[in-house]
Amino acid sequence: MKFADILKLSLNSLTHRGLRSWLTILGIIVGVAAVIAMLSISAGMSQSMKSQMSNFGADVLTVSVGRTRAFGPESGFGDRFQPGSTGGPPGSSTSTTTTTTTPTLTDKDLLTISTAEGVDTITGIISGRITVQYLAQTVTVTVEGVEPSAWNTMTTSKLASGRFLESGESTSVLIGNGVANGMFDYNLTIDTQIRIGSKTFTIIGILAESGTGSFGGDDRTIFMTIQAAREIVTDIGSNEYSSIQVKVIDTNAIDQTIENVKQALYTSRMVTSDTADFTVTSPTSMLATIQSTMQTLTFFLTGIAAISLLVGAIGIANTMFMSVMERTRLIGILKSIGTRNSEIMKLFLAESGIIGFMGGLLGIFLGFIVVGIISSVGINIMGLSRMGTNASVAIVTPELILFALLFSTIIGIVSGLIPARKASNLQVVEAMRSE
Amino acid sequence: MKEMNNVIIELQDVKKIYKMDGVETPALRGIDLKINKGEFVAIMGPSGSGKSTLLHMVGALDKPTSGKVLLDGVDISTLKESDLARLRGKKIGIVFQFFNLHPTLNALENIELPMIVVEKDKKERQQRALELLKAVGLEHRAQHLPSQLSGGEQQRIAIARALANEPEIILADELTGNLDTNTKAEIMNFLLQLQKEKKMTVTVITHEPEIAQYAETIIHIVDGKIKTGG
Repeated sequence: MKFADILKLSLNSLTHRGLRSWLTILGIIVGVAAVIAMLSISAGMSQSMKSQMSNFGADVLTVSVGRTRAFGPESGFGDRFQPGSTGGPPGSSTSTTTTTTTPTLTDKDLLTISTAEGVDTITGIISGRITVQYLAQTVTVTVEGVEPSAWNTMTTSKLASGRFLESGESTSVLIGNGVANGMFDYNLTIDTQIRIGSKTFTIIGILAESGTGSFGGDDRTIFMTIQAAREIVTDIGSNEYSSIQVKVIDTNAIDQTIENVKQALYTSRMVTSDTADFTVTSPTSMLATIQSTMQTLTFFLTGIAAISLLVGAIGIANTMFMSVMERTRLIGILKSIGTRNSEIMKLFLAESGIIGFMGGLLGIFLGFIVVGIISSVGINIMGLSRMGTNASVAIVTPELILFALLFSTIIGIVSGLIPARKASNLQVVEAMRSE
Repeated sequence: MKEMNNVIIELQDVKKIYKMDGVETPALRGIDLKINKGEFVAIMGPSGSGKSTLLHMVGALDKPTSGKVLLDGVDISTLKESDLARLRGKKIGIVFQFFNLHPTLNALENIELPMIVVEKDKKERQQRALELLKAVGLEHRAQHLPSQLSGGEQQRIAIARALANEPEIILADELTGNLDTNTKAEIMNFLLQLQKEKKMTVTVITHEPEIAQYAETIIHIVDGKIKTGG
């Protein structure tokens, strides 16, 4: 029997069993959609985090409080460790048991770090989520207060229009591309006045799009001087900072500089490496941390999704067994007119393979829809801030689609293996006898 | 009439024992039989006599427990499963009592099926299927599923299907068992015509004497043994 004819016969019997075929396919659809959604959301989150990291060069260290080894202060995790943050009881998320008050970064730390060997420039950063009003619209945006002279040398963000901040400016803001375009009904331009918190600011520069950065990256942040930020971010003490950015002199000696900064801080904060209440991260270490975290998360989420795929596979095996039993007589007929055992096997494998393939194909579509919904609604897990409408949370790659199709087809074939074997091994005479 | 060179099916001391739950049930107790090319043979016997088992042997659907089955001089027990299957498909056309059509294929596709199995050219097989459908007078039923056809119509499709690969042997197992008298005569005459015109070997299994009348040779089988030949 030719392969095309085997496919045709398999399709024929599948379509004649309409509802049952579809229900079996549905099992695979749900499984594949879940896997697709989980994988692409993980990929999207991972990319978003990476693009956000890249807003600073490879020569910039971030010092933040708390013993989190995860993310920098502009990401969700960092927010939890902000001085005076309302999220959670003090020290709840750190392993530093001796800490009774929430640790903070102060002018003293700034001074300590700036004297460490290998440090070039330094800026304290104040960040907070502040309501911004433009025309009749109010949106909550991440606002960062920075020291322009230092920050301007550290950022890798490019200007789309206008200029960077200058030291001493108290009513000027530099805004991310996402803030300018899409956040408000009317796009913001240079010289537009917006109300941030209780003060009115003038936009002096708009950053170029920094990629797919979608949660808290430069794209969705408003920058101003520290002095200006202190007036509107009210939950940070007058000499405190959310984090400190350090530019190193020599990128090749970045590990040594990290160590120098740490040692300086151990001494000034009177802690040891075991009781440290701060974290120094470099872009590379952050990336590594993000990657390993994302890998774990992806593995976990995909594992859960894979279970539903497994259930779908069992469904195929079950349907195929039923189908073999029901068609015992037909198998006998086919054999009596010259069909080989191997061809009977192929017929049944083609059927289960088609179920798997169709499940994969439709599962990808459903996965797309799920991904689309999640992207547009936005996810608020892990303290990630609000997504923009054009933010790509999830990434569906062609490789993922191909893999899903191939994998689901293989699942179908494997699930059909034992039933197909059973069918092909039936004795003609026995098969013909069954009703 | 039974010259050696003209024998198409030969059974030599064929025994078949079925084992079920450890109990051995002999179905054939040593059958010697020769069927010549172009012969019309009827195998008769009461139910349980082993006549269906004999047909399975002759049709290469099953292998004997002992003894030899020679099909055109070839011992079928020496053939691989895949070769035996193809031999069945090309040399033998089988018609069953319960029609045994493919339930989800229409009449035309059912006739085409044996030709699909042996990988005949698509155009050729479609043309042949249509010819056969016309030959059994059911061209107006081409697109009907078996469940939409009457018993007689289904049996005619089954015969057309058995003829698809121009087999040398037509085997029929109680093919008229479920049909009314008129249809029976119609079907038997059709088989007779095939035997006469196409020089096909026709072997029918039946317990009805009026069906056996169509045959040149009647073989009676009782308790797994041939009683009389004639």
